[in-house]
Amino acid sequence: MKVKIDTRPLIVVLMSRWWRFPVYVLLGYLLYHFHGMTPPEGLSVQGFRALVVFLTCLVLWVTHLLPLPVTGLFALIAPPLMGVMKAKEAFSFFGSEPVFFIMGVFILATALLKSGLSTRLALHLMKSGSKSPKRLVLQIMFASALLSFIMSEHAVAAMMFPLLIVITKRLDFIPHGGSYGRILFLAMAWGCVIGGIGTMLGGARVPLAIGLLQEAGNGTITFIQWTVAMFPIVIVLFIFCYFLLTRFYRIDVDSVAEADSAIDEQIRDCGRPLLEEKFLALLIVGSIFCWMFFGATLGMATISILAVVLLFMFRVVSWEHLQEHMEWGVILMYGGAIAISSILNSTGAGLWLTQKYVLPHLSSPWALIVVLSLLTILLTEAMSNSAVVAIFIPIGMSVAKQFGLDPKVVVFAVASASGLAYALPMSTPSVAIAYSSGYLKMKEVIPPAIVMAAVSWITLMLTARFWWPILGIRI
Amino acid sequence: MNLGLLKLQLLHHGIRAGKDLPSPLTNPFGLVHLVLPEKLPVSVHLNQNGKESPFTLTREGDGFFLEISGGDRLPVRWTPPLKSYQKKTFSGLMVSDILTVHGDFIAVHPSHACRFGQAGLSCRYCGSSKELSQHPPFTPRDLVEAIKIVLEEKRCDVVALSSGRVDSEDGGVERLSKWVTEVRKHLNVLISLDLVPPATDEWIDQTYAIGVDALYYDTDFFNPNDEPKKDSVKHKARQLEALAYAAKIFPTGAVLSHLVVGLEPLEDTKTSIDLLIDRGVVPVLAYFPPYNGSQIQGRWTADPEKVQELYAHLYERLVKTRITPHWVQQYDVVLTPLEGRFFSAQPPRYHLKLKNFYETGLGRTLRFGLASLRRHLRVREVPAK
Repeated sequence: MKVKIDTRPLIVVLMSRWWRFPVYVLLGYLLYHFHGMTPPEGLSVQGFRALVVFLTCLVLWVTHLLPLPVTGLFALIAPPLMGVMKAKEAFSFFGSEPVFFIMGVFILATALLKSGLSTRLALHLMKSGSKSPKRLVLQIMFASALLSFIMSEHAVAAMMFPLLIVITKRLDFIPHGGSYGRILFLAMAWGCVIGGIGTMLGGARVPLAIGLLQEAGNGTITFIQWTVAMFPIVIVLFIFCYFLLTRFYRIDVDSVAEADSAIDEQIRDCGRPLLEEKFLALLIVGSIFCWMFFGATLGMATISILAVVLLFMFRVVSWEHLQEHMEWGVILMYGGAIAISSILNSTGAGLWLTQKYVLPHLSSPWALIVVLSLLTILLTEAMSNSAVVAIFIPIGMSVAKQFGLDPKVVVFAVASASGLAYALPMSTPSVAIAYSSGYLKMKEVIPPAIVMAAVSWITLMLTARFWWPILGIRI
Repeated sequence: MNLGLLKLQLLHHGIRAGKDLPSPLTNPFGLVHLVLPEKLPVSVHLNQNGKESPFTLTREGDGFFLEISGGDRLPVRWTPPLKSYQKKTFSGLMVSDILTVHGDFIAVHPSHACRFGQAGLSCRYCGSSKELSQHPPFTPRDLVEAIKIVLEEKRCDVVALSSGRVDSEDGGVERLSKWVTEVRKHLNVLISLDLVPPATDEWIDQTYAIGVDALYYDTDFFNPNDEPKKDSVKHKARQLEALAYAAKIFPTGAVLSHLVVGLEPLEDTKTSIDLLIDRGVVPVLAYFPPYNGSQIQGRWTADPEKVQELYAHLYERLVKTRITPHWVQQYDVVLTPLEGRFFSAQPPRYHLKLKNFYETGLGRTLRFGLASLRRHLRVREVPAK
């Protein structure tokens, strides 16, 4: 890091650096003000205050006034401070099963990256892609999507990124020098996005959504149920994305023969698979098998934490490495989100809000799904997808109950839609990583990204209409 | 009596010691600390240049007087030399080997000779000389301890460090950064650095970011050919450029530059004053009569009476441009720009009141707080390219 001195007028610097403090003071005042207010008719005092806490968290999530994990912690302390419930009760929501499932999955992903197994898998999946430029695009998309089935999409993008840099350098591409480099980085980013919704492991938003479902007492969704429900969406979007990338942008190279030698060199550098890698591969396959067939009985978190224990028993990863590379903040964010959602549900505030303000505007369960999924896809472009899930799932489940609709449908619709962000760097980490290559310009990415988002929403709606009923998910 | 002129004359002639004066009368460096009326501090050499001085320090009871040839007599305050100088740090070094106190400034002895010292001259300002190597080396821990010893005896606001003469691209800031960091870590003081202009402006940003509050890049001469150690014209251009940039980075008045009086025509010095003030820099006129036998003794032509006009010009320009000159270090051995008011009919606007306010407890707290706040707001870390 180097230093830069901000020479703008001091008042301007002061405003730009400290504008948050007046907002914090205002939020604090509003919390105090609402704390003393009489609740509206039909809503208990606790419910009213829970709603105030939820809205405050919503503001903090949307504006990033505080880091997301810190807002998660605020969601735990605000209810006891506002007199919604005792501290012991509020903090107990943090100990929900999905939080530990997410923790286990993230630890496994960190181990995959550290061992080099994920890199080895990616390289083998991209091998022989040099037969044609289109084939290389396809294989990069395939590798990214397939790996996003077993580890979080942002970890896949972070792992794929240096490999693509090596390939583009070997092909003598330069940022903004032509459109093929852009296609390769978008293939990686969008491959991750599409693969990320394929299973519960592609990101923490699906476990978060299922956690909210469980905490509200609405049952659960198994690993197989989720994967099967998403299968057509993943296939259709994968194929469409490939055609869109290779048709929308001009392929301005004739040969990518050099890419193979770069990939071969990388494979050679990886050396032979170590015992740790083999064990890790076995552990991942075993965990996925257990999640699919014993997830409902043993519990998803139990399996993921057991896998972590085995990871350390066989010394595949050290705790020091994990401490350094693991995104612990995500756990805090999800713990807080689940807590505030549960509090909203237990105090009846969610029900009141939907009866009063949402239901009168929706004519049918279908309208609910259409509106929720569309809003989710739009908002997730500009917001953290987990924040979108934390906002829409509690409200959506309350409305679904009013319509007599299974709340699981809301989880399927919102959690999948929240992962389908393609255009902006702040939408998902994988798109941000692709932008950091220097090959992407926003004005060149946005048009096909809009098409992808539109097709994603239509595909989601068609799947909900024709595929989910076959699986017993009826709207 | 013009107190400004009196101060210059004292700096020029030194004083003689009368009878019954306390002992020790001077600090370890041979300077007598006096405060003239209007709180005007001056540190004077005893029997300057071995010549007869028109000034004699006398004592009557508890009072001290400055007797001037011709019969005039002026009450002054004599400040006893600090006892701290005789104390030792944990490693056994005398405090006087590490620093000198000038009013509320602590001047740290440079580990490398300045441009005057390197040219074989004795620098009155930083104490640098050919004999500098005789100073025992000290560590940052020694320095912090020495400053703490001084602060226990006397209130001081600013610690001034000097890089000495360096030829590196950074202008000496890297050499001093560990000292700055250590002082900043342990003590609540303001820090002033005397450096050589660096090759690029990034080093100026770096200097401010490490915790430096005021900065000196010395211009010394308008004509580089007049310098004891000649610098190129290209170097001079970079010097002015660096000063102008630093004036944008540091608080108003916290970028200063010495101009040596008496070794080039006064008109040239005047032009230098204008050049610096136009760039937002505070010029400090170094009125240092050469020691006896010095190489430059024959060239030096600056009697106190001749240079009054220069001080008046400096003061009037500063007041007009609203630059606050409160960062002048070692103000007991120079006549500060604000003290140039004694040669001008123009009253100071708010400058004098502000200076007096900064000397109060509240003013000091406010000054320290604002300096920290400004740095906190302005310094930003950005990823390296």
